[in-house]
Amino acid sequence: MIPNPLALIAEITHRCPLHCVYCSNPLQLAGTEAEISTEDWVRVFQQAHDLGILHLHLTGGEPLARADLKELIQAAHDAGLYTNLITSGMGLPEARLASLVDAGLDHVQLSFQDSRDEPANWIAGTKAHAHKVVLSEVIRRFPVAFTVNLVVHRQNLDHLEEMIAFAEQLKPDRLEIAHAQYYGWALKNRDTLMPSREQLENCLRIVESAQARLSGRMRIDCVVPDYYARYPKACMGGWGRRLLLIDPAGQALPCHAAGVIPGMSFDNVRQHSLEWIWRESPAFQRFRGEQWMPEPCRSCERRAEDFGGCRCQAFLLTGDASATDPVCTLAPTHHLVETARETGAPSEAKLSWSYRTNP
Amino acid sequence: MAPPADSSQPRFAAGCRWGTQGEERVVLFPEGMIRVQGTGQKILELCDGGRTVQEIVKALSATYSGGNPSRIREDVGSFLEALQQKRIVDY
Repeated sequence: MIPNPLALIAEITHRCPLHCVYCSNPLQLAGTEAEISTEDWVRVFQQAHDLGILHLHLTGGEPLARADLKELIQAAHDAGLYTNLITSGMGLPEARLASLVDAGLDHVQLSFQDSRDEPANWIAGTKAHAHKVVLSEVIRRFPVAFTVNLVVHRQNLDHLEEMIAFAEQLKPDRLEIAHAQYYGWALKNRDTLMPSREQLENCLRIVESAQARLSGRMRIDCVVPDYYARYPKACMGGWGRRLLLIDPAGQALPCHAAGVIPGMSFDNVRQHSLEWIWRESPAFQRFRGEQWMPEPCRSCERRAEDFGGCRCQAFLLTGDASATDPVCTLAPTHHLVETARETGAPSEAKLSWSYRTNP
Repeated sequence: MAPPADSSQPRFAAGCRWGTQGEERVVLFPEGMIRVQGTGQKILELCDGGRTVQEIVKALSATYSGGNPSRIREDVGSFLEALQQKRIVDY
């Protein structure tokens, strides 16, 4: 029996006013003309609830770029879903925020690129930082949960303590410190983003002491970079086990990056129900369970914990989506990750990186 | 943060609320949910931001006749403190 998914990630648009160098969107972005309609999303949210899903994460691109966001939140709320808006905050005047909260918005997750104005704008490829600081005060006045999200990497980890103190002043309920993960645009810029081992060790020590200091006031969650892990992450909680993602064009994917795997075809919510997609569609069954696993995963005692790691990362680094995730120290291709860690570029190289484009 | 005082008025933290999963009542919050049953559910249902901890204990003592009020006060305090740490409850 396949368990029901826990959450739906709705990537409602790829349009975005920011150009972050570590964006997790695919390199091939969907344009406005490819986006599915309001009615399509409303139907999907009802089907999501019927499938036992509790949480809806509205993301993009920048979800505020969709003019019908209020209708989408209203429909999701009416369907019984808990709604989380993952946003850069660009395009959110107070009156619009008020209308989204009225429609049933539960949680706002606001991304910051840095604590300092100049480097933040440089990572985002646009002037957004000062606006976000002002907006966070406005958000705090509304009855919604507030999370500050901070992506960390080689270029900003040396002032992590300052960034945590900055986040503290914004008074969120929760701070998410996420190390850049190397898919999409971040993989293109990997050499410039990859932290050193020393940076990572300092980071873990700083986060632990901040967690103790801020306990009960601001919860801190830290997503560690898997390139430095001993064993791979249980990507998405296992393929087709907990999460499903719908892209702007209505394609249902088991994770953000699955579109890179050649030979996969993803069914669309315009043609199929979410339940059929989850239980029957070939894409969600492709790497579900253990049948697909090669050695050393197949006989590994950790196979039910990490599910062989990430299929997209296996493909991106080895060319074979069925290989053991190379971040695993037991993987025959682990040297690829060791090399990537060592070739983290000196900071001068940062001038040549690739900004995310717009569809 | 300190445990709740007798005069504290506990309530859900911003963005935390009841939801349903099938027939079951659950508490929803950013990135997660918890199933609360029995006494835990009773306590949370009384946390409306108006009632004080003292009043909640009194109401529970009436429901559980024979319950020891100081024991109930202790349980309510530690239950709410644990949820406050998770940023699910404020008081």
